[in-house]
Amino acid sequence: MCRLLVIVALLACAIGVSAQPDVDPPEWTKTQRLGVGQTVYFNAWGGDPAINRYIEWSAGRVRERYGVQLVHVKVTDIAESVSRIMAERVAERDDNGSVDLLWINGENFAALKQADLLWGPWTGRLPNAELIDWQGNPTTRIDVTLPTEGFELPWGTSTFTLFYDRSHVASDAKPPPRDPATLLRWIEAHPGRFSYPQPPAFLGTAFLKQLLLLLTDDLDRVQRPVGDDFDAVTARLWAWLDRAHTGMWRRGRLFPRGGPAQRELLAGGELHWMMSYNPAEASRAIRQGELHESIRALHLEGGALANSHFLAIPYNAGSKAGAMLVADFLISPEAQARKSDESVWGDPTVLNLERLPATDRAPFEALQPGAATPSPPDRLLAEPHPSWAARLEREWLERYVR
Amino acid sequence: MKRRMRAGVLILLTVSGVPTLSGLAAALWFGVDAASLTRVLDTPGIGLSIASSVWTGLVATLLSLALAHLAVAVAATGGWRRRLNAFSLPLLAMPHLAVGIGLALVLAPSGLLLRLISPAVTGLTEPPDWLSVQDPYGLSLIAGLVVKETAFLVLVLFAALTQVPAERLLLQARSLGYGRLKAWLVAVAPLLQQQIRLPLAAVLVFGLTNVEMAIPLGPDLPPTFSVMLWRWFVDADPAIHVQAYTGTLVLLFVTVLTVIVASRAARAFGVLWRRWAENGSRLRGEATARGAVGAFVSSVWILGMLALFAILLRSAAGVWRFPDVLPASAALSSWSGVLPAAGNVAGTTILLAAATALVGVILVLPVAEQLHRDAALRSRLGAWLFLPLLLPQMTFLFGVQVLLAYLGIDGTFPAVLWSHLIFALPYLWGLLAPARAAIDPRYLAVARTLGAGPARAWLTATMPLILRSILLAIALAFSVSIALYLPTLFAGAGRIATAATEAAAAAGSGTLRLAAVHGILLAVLPLAAFTAAYAAGAALFRNRRGMPR
Amino acid sequence: MSALTVEQVSLRISGQTLFAPFDLHVPAGVVTSVIGPSGSGKSSLLAYLCGTLAPEFEAEGRVLIGDDDVSRLPPEQRGLGILFQEPLLFPHLSVRGNLLFGLRADGGRRARRKIADSELASMGLAGFGDRDPETLSGGQKARVALLRVLLSKPRALLLDEPFSALDHDNRVKVRQLVFDEVRRRKLPTLLVTHDEADAASAAGPVVALATVEY
Repeated sequence: MCRLLVIVALLACAIGVSAQPDVDPPEWTKTQRLGVGQTVYFNAWGGDPAINRYIEWSAGRVRERYGVQLVHVKVTDIAESVSRIMAERVAERDDNGSVDLLWINGENFAALKQADLLWGPWTGRLPNAELIDWQGNPTTRIDVTLPTEGFELPWGTSTFTLFYDRSHVASDAKPPPRDPATLLRWIEAHPGRFSYPQPPAFLGTAFLKQLLLLLTDDLDRVQRPVGDDFDAVTARLWAWLDRAHTGMWRRGRLFPRGGPAQRELLAGGELHWMMSYNPAEASRAIRQGELHESIRALHLEGGALANSHFLAIPYNAGSKAGAMLVADFLISPEAQARKSDESVWGDPTVLNLERLPATDRAPFEALQPGAATPSPPDRLLAEPHPSWAARLEREWLERYVR
Repeated sequence: MKRRMRAGVLILLTVSGVPTLSGLAAALWFGVDAASLTRVLDTPGIGLSIASSVWTGLVATLLSLALAHLAVAVAATGGWRRRLNAFSLPLLAMPHLAVGIGLALVLAPSGLLLRLISPAVTGLTEPPDWLSVQDPYGLSLIAGLVVKETAFLVLVLFAALTQVPAERLLLQARSLGYGRLKAWLVAVAPLLQQQIRLPLAAVLVFGLTNVEMAIPLGPDLPPTFSVMLWRWFVDADPAIHVQAYTGTLVLLFVTVLTVIVASRAARAFGVLWRRWAENGSRLRGEATARGAVGAFVSSVWILGMLALFAILLRSAAGVWRFPDVLPASAALSSWSGVLPAAGNVAGTTILLAAATALVGVILVLPVAEQLHRDAALRSRLGAWLFLPLLLPQMTFLFGVQVLLAYLGIDGTFPAVLWSHLIFALPYLWGLLAPARAAIDPRYLAVARTLGAGPARAWLTATMPLILRSILLAIALAFSVSIALYLPTLFAGAGRIATAATEAAAAAGSGTLRLAAVHGILLAVLPLAAFTAAYAAGAALFRNRRGMPR
Repeated sequence: MSALTVEQVSLRISGQTLFAPFDLHVPAGVVTSVIGPSGSGKSSLLAYLCGTLAPEFEAEGRVLIGDDDVSRLPPEQRGLGILFQEPLLFPHLSVRGNLLFGLRADGGRRARRKIADSELASMGLAGFGDRDPETLSGGQKARVALLRVLLSKPRALLLDEPFSALDHDNRVKVRQLVFDEVRRRKLPTLLVTHDEADAASAAGPVVALATVEY
């Protein structure tokens, strides 16, 4: 009797753990057949050559494996593609749209989902979807407080990381600043060597959100939509920024335009700090000779802002089968391991490594994080509600645009 | 004959006019919205943004005009006309985007200029925190515009010089006791000025509305108005989209207003000029003035060449710590990552440019032939073809995208080719129509009376005489196409990647290194085209002295 | 007023001599005519005298005004006025503007305007000050051009076939006007022409350019 109960309990656990429905094998074969010869236009940010190279590699592999032609449409800001899809809805171009697959998250995902412009749910149909760490990494299911509901597939996870030049910022005797107050003191003591990308650039807004999470008392408040208490909640953030801007690079009258721009400034010696959502970014750059070896990384005390980035398929995509094939490849252990390799891209994986068989896990274990990769953050802080980002950006512009 | 003439003219006007006018109509249709206007005017920093557009456009145009006139005056009266011509050509050939990226690399605190003089002259071992590029007053933007527009205006002035009896007028003025410089500036320059009104207006409009120079060099907090609009067009929020349409109408309004004010101011300036002409002072001590002008022109040229050099260096540089002049290591990682894709980009860019040049020349030559006797119609057609250059590109280009989407061809090569033709035709017409009209009509008469039919007469009598101009026109259209950014972006729906779109995207995200890699293509291709055209032109008929140049 | 003297002037181009070295002495108030067929180098001679000879030419000799050797001076400092076949009035200046350009810089604006207007009146062109030069007849333009060069107070005057563009009636009148003025102001004048009637009316010495025989 006891043994029966144990077996039933184990079975129940097994069913519970499998959070996604099983894939129907004949369904997938049909997808593979439909996808052969399709051209998939993959709209993805093209500002980082390393990522572009990775996508080129993936294109080669999907061509070999599925006969699908993957075309990387490089965009400066994925919002471009979102607006294009919206324009196509207006022009009633409901099939064979210009975008088949999108690299997306956050506000852009919310915009498309709420306007009913995404196809889905589809992530459950992928064989590799069960390998994803749905339980352990909640950011794979919730994109900036919005549940993904199978409309977008997690591709990688990001944690907000700060990088600094050890030869200028710290030494064996003096550790680098790890919390907002100490950082502020450092900035005031070393004017002109710290900056952040200008909001509403992705990373700039991220910096504002990260600071807000560390400078507010009520973390739950920011998970709910923004309201009339905005000024009260963000008061300490603006106080911090007002003081920091006096010691900011270019006296706060010019900000780097985005992530890669800061990296170039760090490499050129104008800045001694940079930030990124990719913890392995500096290690990769050092390996490729684009940054000097004295760069190190840290997560701020109190928690690092974390989110995942996703793949989505527009409602009017012409090559939906091909897009699913590409997506499935991109979350395969082979592709994810290569993506996590710092000499290639260094983006952390979304897979649950414990679910992988030993042969698939081996490439992950063989990866060597560089000296410029930080240890994991003490806490993962969830993204605030999207309305906070928009309001923060607007307020920042009103305060600091002269 | 009349019917054929009308067909050719109609084709040209259709290619050029239909997208322009429909684009304008679309902008008006979508953009006239009171709520949207309020939102536009409510944007933080909008006033400053518009002001900086007007300020940089006006100052850059004024400086370029003054410098161009002075340069031409000093060179024409000093015997170094050829050298000035040669100086201006490479600057003219390089697209605005390439010059902008290059200058950003030169003028930055960690840029080439400071590296050359540090620590020797400045004593700096770390890049200083100076706002030398993208400064809020737009000075670096003005510098970039001046480098390009001075070269352009110099060449336009030289072209106008052929229509003016300069030698005689100069001699007349000198015989009245005036030194060379004042003689030129009073007797010849005003006549030249009257001839260059249209190109000058185009320069002003470009200065007010461009993104190509403003993206790498313009201020960012807030950016110039056109850069702000560019960012709005790309935004996901549909409300911001309508805002963008309304914004382009505001841009159009501001542009028209500024041009009107500028021409009024020019008239007032003309009064002052006449006072100076009539005050009788003979102005003998010219050496300092000539020296100063020479120094200015040289610095402009040096800046341009440094920009080119900086692009080459930056694209290959790995770790490049300040203040090393040359990078310590060459990290071809940028190149190796980009090379396969760069091959594609180069192929598309060259194909598109070659197609623009060939189709453009084929469209223009027959009409130039038909209208070679009708000066009035020639200049009217030229004015209509010039219209797209007098409007802010953004105002009608987004509407063009709607038109192309309805025709189902947006994002295709022919659509982008069409958009490039719109901007190449005015230059092609401006070069080939006068060249054809300048040929003595008696050559053709002789050929016909000797028994040749119209086609053979054209091939043997007319075409060889304008062959050099045709080669130059091909190089010109080729270069115009390579430089075009907004048209490729809008008509190509972001799918057609050319050197310009890649360089602009990279510069827009601040990745100057990647921008430099694409910038090389941008800078080198037009130079190569012009060199080839000149070399071929010189080689052909080099043993015949009677050929038109 | 002093005389215009040309000493041993000879011009060569591409090794070929245009005319043999010769001397010319033009006393004050006298109009000397230089006659020769086209291609004989008359215009080149004038260009040499002005100081605007093209660099392809080689020149020998001296030009003197009174005792001053002006051979090495730039054109604007020689004090030699010139009238061309075309009046070459600057089209972007008014008639008065053209005159003011020629007038020396003494005096304030109003004084100079008065001088210009009174000169116009004395030529029978009263009230023409604000007119656009293009609206004037050939004869009127020639008179304005003459006034302009005279107002610049030249020390000698060169005439490069200035009457050949005018119709017969105007030609006679303008010619007489020019010669009367230069005699009145005692300007040594050199007239280059191929028209014998001009030379006759000048009533001065006539020089035929001796072309070199090949």
